[in-house]
Amino acid sequence: MILSMHEFNARQIHKARLMMNIYSFGRNLVTASSPLPPVHLPAQKEAHVWYILPDEVKSTSLLNRYLEILSPCEKENIFRMSGEQLKKRALLARALVRTTLARYQMNRQIDPKSLKFWKNIHGKPEVDWQYADDWRMPPLHFNISHTSSLIACGVTVGSPIGIDVEEKQRRLKNDILAFARRYFSPHELEMLAHISDPEIRRREFIKLWTLKEAYVKALGKGFSASPFKTFTIRLRDHMEENIHLPLHMISEVPEIIVESCDDPKDLGGKWQFVLLELAGTHYVAICVEQGKINEGERSIPVNLTLRKTIPFVEDECISKGDAAVVIGGLTRLLG
Amino acid sequence: MATRNVLLKYLRVQIRGLPQSARPSPFALSPNVLLRGFSEEVKGCFLDKSEVTDRVISAVKNFQKVDPSKVNPNAHFQNDLGLDSLDAVEIVMALEEEFGFEIPDNEADKINSINLAVDFIASHPQAK
Repeated sequence: MILSMHEFNARQIHKARLMMNIYSFGRNLVTASSPLPPVHLPAQKEAHVWYILPDEVKSTSLLNRYLEILSPCEKENIFRMSGEQLKKRALLARALVRTTLARYQMNRQIDPKSLKFWKNIHGKPEVDWQYADDWRMPPLHFNISHTSSLIACGVTVGSPIGIDVEEKQRRLKNDILAFARRYFSPHELEMLAHISDPEIRRREFIKLWTLKEAYVKALGKGFSASPFKTFTIRLRDHMEENIHLPLHMISEVPEIIVESCDDPKDLGGKWQFVLLELAGTHYVAICVEQGKINEGERSIPVNLTLRKTIPFVEDECISKGDAAVVIGGLTRLLG
Repeated sequence: MATRNVLLKYLRVQIRGLPQSARPSPFALSPNVLLRGFSEEVKGCFLDKSEVTDRVISAVKNFQKVDPSKVNPNAHFQNDLGLDSLDAVEIVMALEEEFGFEIPDNEADKINSINLAVDFIASHPQAK
């Protein structure tokens, strides 16, 4: 019998407190796997985002538990990295992907270790459900992004997804406008150049970077196939004297769209974006396919479920509030 | 003799440059460039590899995020230096400034280690 997410969460948090006490004493009394509470698949026009904060994971036995579910190839890749922090980050990223996908069970428990992945011709990873325990799974798409302080995994059904995370405080080594001149589209450069406050400009740059990355990752063809200069991401219907306005100037949450530089009508409404400010420390951009809408038709909002997790220990559903603020894109934050 | 040496230098660069994956070598030389390799006037235009290595390493070390002790010719941006995609683009931009030529976006994508950066720059006649 599958319990509701709420009931499972309550149980998990209680269990989590118990387990964290055990782990902190360095004894691993939990030998059988704590099952990952099953969740319902994302519906159409729905995206699930699971994220982990590496600083919250300190227990060696938990890290070993994560190591156990990785494939030999993944383990080897991790051992080849230099430094404990990099290894830990890579380990958590793989563990997040495997445990997240394993939660979406239809009939039986999926062992996260059983999942197999393949890369498309451009190197974008996808799940090979043929080899999973439950091969009747619908086409789940996922994408992952990491910074040193946060790792996020986005999941959708039936639509490609791209996700990118950046620290709000991130500084660029190069001058922002020089960078934008070299890599962004002319409209985007213009938008940034019209911001006089350097700190606001820096933040708008980071937001734009995450949106552009998320888009290219959703396309799945790599940076070279969609160079950043060839498309513009902007707010729909927010222009002043022919210049696109930056997000910080808009009071309500605007819709974000992407246009090809060669043919502005080309990409139209096919892609939809969500931009969040998470925990006050990170910007998270998500890009999903929406399907063609006709000129003048309003876009349907993306339903987003956000969950903070420490796999096998604790899951927490994050709803609107201080922890998560939608700053762009038509979105409904569920939970 | 000189052209033979240039040709050998090309061959050496190509062999070292081949990565494990199946992607095409970033130094796939068009016939045009090979022909130019035979010409006396172009023979001096390629930078010396060890000089390029020093300059690339110094540009990468200049990056505040990077631990200078980890920067060696074999360092991989992501796996050894912990750099992400924005860092990688920033490094490419710094290398463009250092060597005075533009690295096309479809090539920049593939430069994700010091070795690949060095090989690419050393095989580009426009590098200064």
